[in-house]
Amino acid sequence: MKKAIYPLVVVGMLMAFSFQVNAQCDSEPYTSGCIPKLASGFNFLKSYKIDGQGGTKTKVEYSYVFTKGTQYMINVCATGESTDGIVVSLFDSNRNKVVSSKVNDQYISAIAYPCNTTGIYYIQYTFDESTQFCGGSALGFKR
Amino acid sequence: MRNLFFVSALAFLAACGSGNKPDEQAFLESLDSAAVEGPEISEEVISSVLQQIPSPLEISVLLKESGTKYDKQLLNSPDNISKYNSNYHKALNLGIYGTDLGYTNIYEQNQDGLDYMGSIKDLADGLSIGQFFDIETIGRLATNSKNLDSLLLITTQNFNSINQYLQEQGRANLSVLLLAGGWIEAMHITCEVAASDPSNKELQETIGSQKIILENIVLLLSFYQQVDQNMASLLTDMQVLQTEYENIEIVTTYEESTFEIVDGVMVIKDNSSSEIKITDQNIENIKNLIGSVRNKIIS
Repeated sequence: MKKAIYPLVVVGMLMAFSFQVNAQCDSEPYTSGCIPKLASGFNFLKSYKIDGQGGTKTKVEYSYVFTKGTQYMINVCATGESTDGIVVSLFDSNRNKVVSSKVNDQYISAIAYPCNTTGIYYIQYTFDESTQFCGGSALGFKR
Repeated sequence: MRNLFFVSALAFLAACGSGNKPDEQAFLESLDSAAVEGPEISEEVISSVLQQIPSPLEISVLLKESGTKYDKQLLNSPDNISKYNSNYHKALNLGIYGTDLGYTNIYEQNQDGLDYMGSIKDLADGLSIGQFFDIETIGRLATNSKNLDSLLLITTQNFNSINQYLQEQGRANLSVLLLAGGWIEAMHITCEVAASDPSNKELQETIGSQKIILENIVLLLSFYQQVDQNMASLLTDMQVLQTEYENIEIVTTYEESTFEIVDGVMVIKDNSSSEIKITDQNIENIKNLIGSVRNKIIS
């Protein structure tokens, strides 16, 4: 009986390990790849890791104080040229949605926001039919 | 009991005079690191507030874009570095020098920038975070004004890495001080320029809008007030500044935003607006309060 259970335990452990490996997200190449994609004239401010932990996490959120009179750009990078279903949404300090990067079933990889109201803004990344649940993002600014 | 010990120890040090003897320095440093056992609030909460604080580089760009001339006299001299012996002063002045470096970079004052870089590297080494500055690369980039974008990028990345590392290492208190120092210096420069040019309403509004960031800094410092006497003292100063900021009103009107797609980029039209009600007297008062806090830090 013990002999019969042993291979099952080993296979189970291997499957669990394999799932863990698949779920790992190395977002560093995406964050560093995203910085040069900021449009000309934008100065780099922050890079954000987008790790959906293999789909177990439904959203990743960061926040930043945007200043009136400044234009901000947020871009999203994932595997290949696409955003791999990663959607970036921007919310103001009262949690009003400013914008979402999914329009007519299209995923836009960059948003530009000329800010009129100084305040805390929430940058939220969600996954819509994503395959890797892994990406990176860069925030830049210009006056 | 512990507070009593700190007070006694500080009184003893004060009685011995203010010379920076090696033993005294070592004692100050041990006191400095022993003082922070960690706040009751979680590191996650601290990180979420820290990440919101904007880069001082934004203000340097605003100053340059508004036609303000470069003024080295507004900055903290890199030669003051020998005055900073405790971790508290090192971290705060690392933030201050970081803002000064950004300012020199934006104005393409490369030699001044290199002087700041030297002091930044020394302070960072003193806090065991010097590994994040590749001074050779930065020095090479600084020799040519065509490398400005790369120089700004690499210095911003260095400071971001430091903040991330400090938080991962459970030393978020230093990250709070670094960001607070950077903000204080940016405020000092902006207030000095705004006071000398009252016609620049954009600068006045920028100073007024810092009310939101000051709230974050006060919140961050308050997390440490029970465990670090230096940070508690800085908190008191910032709360005085916050009292002055209570006279400034920010009125926001919300309107739903619209957008259009231009060359693959979603360009948002922000239909909301905000009005910042601030007077010349408010600016003068804030300038004086910031100047006083800054003097305590850099002296």
